[in-house]
Amino acid sequence: MKKLLSLMLVLAMTFTMVTVVASAEEVAKPEKITILADTTIFSANNGRDEMEARWEELTGIELEIIQPDHDAYYDVMQQHIASGEWPDVMILSSTYYSSYAAEGVLWDMTEAWENSETKASGRFSGDVVFDGLKIDGSLYGFSATRGNGCVTYVKQAWLDAVDMTAPTNFEEYVAMLDAFTKNDPDGDGVADTFGVSAAGFIGAEAPFVNYLPEFYQDAYPFFVAQEDGTWVDGFTQPNMEAALARLSDAYAAGYIDPTTLTNGTGDCRNKFYDDGFGAFTYWAGTWATNLKTNLEANELPGDLVALAPIAEVGAYYDRVPPVWAITSQCENPEGVFKYFIDTMLDGNEMQMLWTYGVEDVHYSFKAETILEKEYAEGQFHMLENLEKEGTAYTKHHIDPMLSLATFAEGVYDPKADSVKPEAAAAAQLFNESSKLATIVPTTEDMTMYNGDLTTLKNELVAKVTMGEMTYADAMAKFEADGGKAWSDAIVASLNALAE
Amino acid sequence: MNNNNVAQPLRKAPLKVRFEKYKWFYIMFLPVMAFLIIFHYLPMFGIRFAFTKYNLIKAPVFVGFDQFRRLFSMPNFWSAFYNTLELSIVKLLLNTGMAIIASLFLNEMISERTKKLTQTIIYLPHFMSWVVTASVFQMLFSPTSAGLVNQMLLKMGVIDKSIYFLGDSAWWRTTYYIINVWRETGWGTIIFMATLAGIDPGIYEAGSIDGATRMQKMWYITIPSIANTILTVLILNLAKVMNLFESAFVLQNDAVMGTSQVLQTYVYYQTFNSGGIPDYGYTTAIGLFRSIVGMFLVLACNFASKKVRGRSIV
Amino acid sequence: MTVQNTTPHTPVLNKPKSTFKLFNLVNGLVFFVFCLFIIIPLWKVLVDSFDLSTGYGMKLWPKRFGLAGYTSVFTNKSLYTPLINSVITTVAGTFMGLLLSTLGAYVLIQFDMPGRNFFANFLLFTMIFEGGMIPTYLVMKDMHLVNTLWAVILLPAINVYNLVLMRNFFEGIPQSLFESAELDGCTPMQTFYKIVLPLSKAALASIGLMFAVAYWNDYTNYKLYITKETMYNFQMKLRSIMMGSDLPAANGGAAENTVQNAAVIVAILPFMVLYPFLQKYFVKGVNIGAVKG
Repeated sequence: MKKLLSLMLVLAMTFTMVTVVASAEEVAKPEKITILADTTIFSANNGRDEMEARWEELTGIELEIIQPDHDAYYDVMQQHIASGEWPDVMILSSTYYSSYAAEGVLWDMTEAWENSETKASGRFSGDVVFDGLKIDGSLYGFSATRGNGCVTYVKQAWLDAVDMTAPTNFEEYVAMLDAFTKNDPDGDGVADTFGVSAAGFIGAEAPFVNYLPEFYQDAYPFFVAQEDGTWVDGFTQPNMEAALARLSDAYAAGYIDPTTLTNGTGDCRNKFYDDGFGAFTYWAGTWATNLKTNLEANELPGDLVALAPIAEVGAYYDRVPPVWAITSQCENPEGVFKYFIDTMLDGNEMQMLWTYGVEDVHYSFKAETILEKEYAEGQFHMLENLEKEGTAYTKHHIDPMLSLATFAEGVYDPKADSVKPEAAAAAQLFNESSKLATIVPTTEDMTMYNGDLTTLKNELVAKVTMGEMTYADAMAKFEADGGKAWSDAIVASLNALAE
Repeated sequence: MNNNNVAQPLRKAPLKVRFEKYKWFYIMFLPVMAFLIIFHYLPMFGIRFAFTKYNLIKAPVFVGFDQFRRLFSMPNFWSAFYNTLELSIVKLLLNTGMAIIASLFLNEMISERTKKLTQTIIYLPHFMSWVVTASVFQMLFSPTSAGLVNQMLLKMGVIDKSIYFLGDSAWWRTTYYIINVWRETGWGTIIFMATLAGIDPGIYEAGSIDGATRMQKMWYITIPSIANTILTVLILNLAKVMNLFESAFVLQNDAVMGTSQVLQTYVYYQTFNSGGIPDYGYTTAIGLFRSIVGMFLVLACNFASKKVRGRSIV
Repeated sequence: MTVQNTTPHTPVLNKPKSTFKLFNLVNGLVFFVFCLFIIIPLWKVLVDSFDLSTGYGMKLWPKRFGLAGYTSVFTNKSLYTPLINSVITTVAGTFMGLLLSTLGAYVLIQFDMPGRNFFANFLLFTMIFEGGMIPTYLVMKDMHLVNTLWAVILLPAINVYNLVLMRNFFEGIPQSLFESAELDGCTPMQTFYKIVLPLSKAALASIGLMFAVAYWNDYTNYKLYITKETMYNFQMKLRSIMMGSDLPAANGGAAENTVQNAAVIVAILPFMVLYPFLQKYFVKGVNIGAVKG
């Protein structure tokens, strides 16, 4: 008996030792990694081959990139999944991310992430974002950037014309809209301007209220988890009544562009460039520069104030970013994690590649003139776009303004030299004053009813705002058309899930 | 007319003789057959997914008619179904009708140069994508100062207050039809103009000698000679009636969903707002349902065509 | 209004001049108004494509005229390969499409042919029932057509709609011509290219145009079966220019809106140029003339 016991002990010890040795061993380096990527990485006409070659040079691993057309990304992804040709890594939106994780398509990278060099580097600042990506405490995807969101831009020239300063609360905001609508801020002698415009009164995707945050304030038309963890439908909450009252008052007063209902985002931009309205809630970062240059191209003053969220709004919404996920059919997920994902924010050459591209293809330090601008030897600058003449590159996959990690100490960070000041200012404002939108889980009832429910909610929001219906009538219709029942069913299913 | 070749009774010949006579035709049909089998019949095995739950990841699970039950129990399914039929069929009749009228009167144009120029102009809108079309018409029909239509109507005194044509349920359909007529009339004339080109001018000359007026010739010669083409075009398009998607999708908005929601857009929003990955079985079931409706429409009209005109379309 | 019969070979109807005048005047006027209705929305796009400033409403003329939108499209080097791909697939595809449609249509007018009705239903069935996106992809993959231009050439070449329309035209050919061809000892194939095809110029032109337009504008098949940018067609690239609003605005070049509108016009251009050449096949009597000559 004693002998047997000691034998067992020895066996157990050997087993433990073997395991320890195995885990201490280097993670096997993959020979080839296949990735399915969208157009956030450079396309073939934009030096993707050079990017690929540089990546292979840095890692010694063969990289295969499958990059479908922008509109067909998820169709092609599903074709690959259905035909069994799973890539090792793919980019996923938050909806696909949570559903695929639930279906077991994605490899659980929680442990790999906890032990990753990126997390331990001290340069990483995205813990909040990554917490938002966890599903039941497990992490299945990685993002090198924040999700980004919208901030409100106001034309400085218009503020000057009506002799006002940037509003800090709703009262001042409305006063500004009033002046923009009535006091001829563009100075053409015709009362043809509006305070604000948007593409629809409500957004199609989460966070739905991001194009008109000043009016919605704390109201949110989708399902939200309360502090105690129970779910409610934000649409049925009392603060929605107040939000709709603000919207309909402003619409009736003519502050909101009367064609907001049918506007596309392109229409809004064109109207903004054409001096049609003065306050525009749009994407932070690079778009600050785009709006400015387009205004200037129209021979109008391009200075914009990126508005700090007014007191009642508190914080803008930050989207859940798309993620890189490793598929569960990947033969060596640890290796792929280590060499593909954990290197992306290495603070050095690889991060440079993912943020700015390849030297002398996408950026350069040479003394030269690019797009009528002179650069001295050793001065960082982006090169002219290979596909779009007259345009310079601004970034690769990682937007430097949204990056979740800084460059390592002692490594040159081109951010200050590559990002335009107005874009940096807008991005910084957004980063400092935004809150993360949360992932809402899917349930059977959600799949069944939320399509009809959303259509009904959006119709009611539009009709109340446009004064075709009172709030009381809208709520009566909400109940009569079944909206209340669908909403309750979904809330119940979400709460059942939470328990 | 040209109906002298419809099924002449050579049927008396024995089958073997007829096979022998047509052997070359079977060989000619081979490539067509091969293409149909490879690109249409092989993928058709996918129809079986309509009876399964299938997320494209795990093997499909047989669920019988569950997907159809889900479709029919969707809260606003029937109104979307009805909208599809109305929008699609009215659009088809209007577009085809306008194309016929335009072709007939183009055919009467004396100056060849004006005729060609007119034809070229009216067929251009077909080449504009629906997204661009929608954005231009949203501007033209808008109730603001940029809305040309409202400005003109106001000036002419037809209305005294701007109408939000695409944002008002009462006006949305009319506007939708007008935009469709704008886009497809010219393109539709191509097939009718080609048919008109096939008419023997001798018939018109004979008509003139008999003292027929212009309108009489149009009624008694031109229209009967394009009748088969009209029927064919209408019936073939009926098969696709349920597929209506893009034109409605780009022109609809939150306030007019009740009148503009068609089956395909309805399913799009169902999927888009489901918060999950689309069930491929469900998508296939909807496709099959659309096909079956299309089949009934085609069969019914083909049957009517046989009764009235004594011929089917194929 | 005088009779502007500039092309003397077209048959002129012998009509008294008085009714001529009024009818032509009204006819011309109605078409003038109709053309105006067609042109106004197109004009908006055209003007914006030449306008360096970005506007929202309708303008009669560009505010600041400039060709920057077009130079931006035409100097785009990455458009050259797609242009070649488009030409290849359009020419090859239109040829394949016409071949299959004419062969199929010729067989369908053999009303005594055993199995003819089966063939007709076999065709029609595919027009109504479809396999769906994933099964079609799997077939394309098994045939090794994915990421080859063959995928986008072969798949749309069989088009039942066009085939049935073609059959409709063939039916208009007088039966007597077939009979005399048979008496002359023509094989079915000889009858096909000596009688059927020359008599169907208008049909070939119109159905050929429908194929060409479908191939030129094809977007769906490319995005589903081609993931290599070197095989993209012109339409795919123009679309990415039009939709590419997330790209930074040009420095000193054309505004985003100008380039997008220019891209819309460029997409229309090939058929604006091609159509007048095809129109001679839509002239009255073109087919009959072919036989007599």
